[in-house]
Amino acid sequence: MIPRALRDPRAFIGAVLFALIALAALFAPWIARVDPQDQDLLGTLLPAAFQAGGDPAHLLGTDALGRDVLARVLYGARTALSVALIAAFGAMVLGSVLAYAAGYLGGWTDWVIGRTVEIWMSFPPVILALILMTGLGTGLRNVILAIILVDWTRFCRVLRAEVVVIARRDHVAAARLTGFSHLQTVRREIIPATIPLLITLLSLEAGIAVIAEAILSFVGLGVKSDQIAWGQMIADSRDAIYQAPWNLLAPTLAIFLTVAAANLLGDGLRRTLDVRLREDRA
Amino acid sequence: MIATLLKRQATALPILLIVSALLFTALRLLPVDPAAMSMPPNATKAEVEAARVAMGLDRPLPEQYAIWIGQVAHGDLGRSIHVRRPVSTLLADTLPATIELAVAAMLIAGSLGLSGGLILFALRDNKAEPLAETATTLMMSVPEFLWALLFIFVFGVALQALPFTGRLDPGISRPVLTGFLLFDAAWLGQWKAFASALLHLVLPAAALGIAFAPPIMRVLRASLIDIYHEDYIRQARLRGLSETRILLFHALQNAGLPTLTLMGVQFGILFGGSLLIEVIYAYPGMGNLMVDAVRNADLPIIQAVGLTYCIVVLTINAVVDALYHVINPRLRAR
Amino acid sequence: MTALSRRGLFGLLAATGLPAIAQAQDADTATIGWPSDVAGGWDPNVRFAPDAQSLLKMVFDQPMDQDPSLKLIPHIVTAWKMAPDALSLELTFRDDVRFHNGDKLTSADFAYTFMGRLKAGHKLDIANSMRSVADIETPSPTTAIMRFKTPSPTMPVWLAFLGSYIVPKAYMEQVGPEAFAQKPVGTGPYKLLEYQMNARIVLERNDAYWGPKPKLKRIVVEIIKDPSARVAGIQSGQLDLTVNVPVREVARLKALPGLTGELNPIQRVVLLQVRNDEGFTDRNVRLAAHHAIDKKALSQAFYGGAAVPLSAPATPGTPGFLEDYTFTYDPKLAAELLAKSGYSVDKPAKIRMATTNGTFPSDFDMARAIVAMWKKVGIEAELEVIEISKYFELNRGNKLPEATLYGFDNATGDPEIYAGYLLNPKLPFSPWKDPVLGEKVLALFNVADEAQRIAGWRALNKEAAETGATMPLLQSVQTLVRKQSLNFTKYGNGWILGQTFSRG
Repeated sequence: MIPRALRDPRAFIGAVLFALIALAALFAPWIARVDPQDQDLLGTLLPAAFQAGGDPAHLLGTDALGRDVLARVLYGARTALSVALIAAFGAMVLGSVLAYAAGYLGGWTDWVIGRTVEIWMSFPPVILALILMTGLGTGLRNVILAIILVDWTRFCRVLRAEVVVIARRDHVAAARLTGFSHLQTVRREIIPATIPLLITLLSLEAGIAVIAEAILSFVGLGVKSDQIAWGQMIADSRDAIYQAPWNLLAPTLAIFLTVAAANLLGDGLRRTLDVRLREDRA
Repeated sequence: MIATLLKRQATALPILLIVSALLFTALRLLPVDPAAMSMPPNATKAEVEAARVAMGLDRPLPEQYAIWIGQVAHGDLGRSIHVRRPVSTLLADTLPATIELAVAAMLIAGSLGLSGGLILFALRDNKAEPLAETATTLMMSVPEFLWALLFIFVFGVALQALPFTGRLDPGISRPVLTGFLLFDAAWLGQWKAFASALLHLVLPAAALGIAFAPPIMRVLRASLIDIYHEDYIRQARLRGLSETRILLFHALQNAGLPTLTLMGVQFGILFGGSLLIEVIYAYPGMGNLMVDAVRNADLPIIQAVGLTYCIVVLTINAVVDALYHVINPRLRAR
Repeated sequence: MTALSRRGLFGLLAATGLPAIAQAQDADTATIGWPSDVAGGWDPNVRFAPDAQSLLKMVFDQPMDQDPSLKLIPHIVTAWKMAPDALSLELTFRDDVRFHNGDKLTSADFAYTFMGRLKAGHKLDIANSMRSVADIETPSPTTAIMRFKTPSPTMPVWLAFLGSYIVPKAYMEQVGPEAFAQKPVGTGPYKLLEYQMNARIVLERNDAYWGPKPKLKRIVVEIIKDPSARVAGIQSGQLDLTVNVPVREVARLKALPGLTGELNPIQRVVLLQVRNDEGFTDRNVRLAAHHAIDKKALSQAFYGGAAVPLSAPATPGTPGFLEDYTFTYDPKLAAELLAKSGYSVDKPAKIRMATTNGTFPSDFDMARAIVAMWKKVGIEAELEVIEISKYFELNRGNKLPEATLYGFDNATGDPEIYAGYLLNPKLPFSPWKDPVLGEKVLALFNVADEAQRIAGWRALNKEAAETGATMPLLQSVQTLVRKQSLNFTKYGNGWILGQTFSRG
């Protein structure tokens, strides 16, 4: 039985792909069979096993330190997915709390939050993330924090508009009249009405977070160097692009598949959950 | 109308002030010491202390900010700690390069977006529609820096068809005028430099542009579909106007507004995205300046470049806003 | 406007029709791809930047010079005499040297460069190398006497080293340092014709040069920071010579027709700068860390085997190099040493380590390889990437981690400028703050007798390795790829000088 939300083929494919990637991350030790941190300085930059000079023990070859590329891509999924899920969730919580406050309360609360969003958005996201990472320093937790601090506006802006519309509906006013407190009204009347939008945004944001993490690792301001990250793999691969192309291609493909899974799921959900969403990379 | 525009732009200045204050405070909290970093390696502690006083770092934070913003207002952006050059010189050297790249990318994104949007629209209610839409979703899943790497791999390394580093071939003298290389080369009639600059711009601009095209396609398609539900399209059809004419003179014009707004937002993001493209293509623009500065904790540069990115974004917002008013007759009448 | 655009289209077609390598191969010009610009503009006294020495040496002259085997040789200074107590140095100058603006070089320019500028308050890195200078007397236009506050036996070496370039007093005083940095005037074999910061330097032969005339009329230096861009440049034929390309690319490029490549050992030691406290308080842990590093494997993996493993902070052929001393690679011994202090793979000693990424070839890779080697014997290191500019600031605040991967350039090869700097408690390079070794280092600076001085440094090098105060790894190599048609003189310290180029 497929849940209603996944009946759109896109949502279904996205969900399955996402699940597969999550499984690959979870069972990386069993699939890879090699420790991704194991170095072999005598076997650096081996080509893929199916290329000339490849070693069957390393299906996608090795990197500049002789580490197995396939194992690193699989373990890299752990970093990518944990960042994607936690950061997307965090950005959703921060953004939506502010959006509920702004959209429901209106007045000066709305004004202050609106201006804050505006100020935030006057920074290109990449620049803001870079500046934040400069201040926070590298590491998984800080990457997640930086993404939350950059991307909460995506949720806040879109959701606020939705909340304003819902708050004007009759049954919301009725709820207030029957003696519900503000908090109760928001919890019982407004939040449930915005759940489909939230889920859709969450799915899209997961893809954005994967990209953001890759970007930060790529410029050397991401996770610590002993953590395996796709962005770091790509950065490392650039010196050996002629000798061992899979060092570049494998993590590139991994990023693409993960982001595509998130986007397909988000796009499908938008349809099945009947969410109206403007395309401004919200 | 001008008054409305000015009023709408009046918010930009306070935003800029707040942004600059935030930027300044955030960077002062970093665990680095600009005074120590500005000194040669073998400087003594006393010399560092003297430098700290000379740089005003011993004063309270608000005072430091007031001094800085005062200098910025006078066009003095300070001096880089690491390369010891005036930041304004560094910016003047790199900003035109980044603008050139961003504009070229936006042109590519715009034309891809428009043609793609029209194709998507033409495919509406067609069996191929879900396929085309999935294709755009997949396209959206490739961020600009992956396009950049793939283009290098395919066109640079495998096919060796296009250059993928810098702005000019070595051995070609750079025309010096405004810093906008294509313009300078054309103006000075240095066609070899022009051709080289153009070839060097192809891959980075395409990588950046293609990444930002899919949202434009989608908005255009959605707006067109909305508009075709409107009465005046039906009336136009009743009047016997051809479909092409309706599309070009009625629908596109109106669908242009939301598309334009989106492109405005996109340009801001794209401008920031150029940073990665610059790093990957060793393109000597503001993004590379910024990344170097971040790595070296070169505060004067980070502050100034951060602020410049903001100013560009706010300017674009203003321009889009103005265009919106010019194009949209309904708003103009108000 | 129409005229312009018509010309535009035509010009564009004409230009794109040319093949990539079509740029006229001027036999009188050489284009080199260089990884970095002159630091701090064209004022040669401002910053100590090893990579910029080759560029500065084409436009300026140093008082002394080194030959390709790094022997100190006369240059502008024709003769020098160090007093036995090393407290004064007599110099005699050539009298046929003219600056590019026609002014004659005299001892006054020398005194101004190394003394007057500092007194005038110019912010110069040579303030540090000239710290011991008390006075410079100029009895005649061709002689000068430097007087020192403390014995300075390495002063002649310094006069051929970082930042020591003679600038014209009159011109500098007339235009000021800011303008000078834009429009420099030197006495070197080339004049600066065109300069675009971080992009391009065009040099033209100084036909009035006092020394041997350069064979090539023009040297174009393309500043290309990205290694893959330098690779692309040499591969497409746009560059005649480039350096510091990835080691593995050298093998690929030199197989291409018309190109040749080499890995040249240079006077840079790659080593771990270590602390004497925190996780490295225990000598056993330090020695274990050193014994655990397979330097040969590092050389093989990252330098194609061309980098010589080192046991002392000095390169082969220099006076401080210990021919008969090897610090062994012995992981078993390392594990034993750690066991003595109660550490094992399951209960590892914990330290932090810092490295740069991209400051010298394969630095980051090497650091990660060392961390893996340590892990096998029972040392767990947390690796952090820093910029080289942060190294000194961190060290000033005593915040460097237990071990830092560091590349130290010493074009002179003098042992004082290796161990004497790297382990000097008063200079910013050393995180090793133990006064016992520090006193010995400082004392050696005051030894005036050459033989005694060298012997002292050799003993110190060994002692430092055996107490675990230094962990030398490799002698670094400079990777170089060039067209076969371009000849150059190979210097032991990696200088690439346009005045030595020829076509053939």
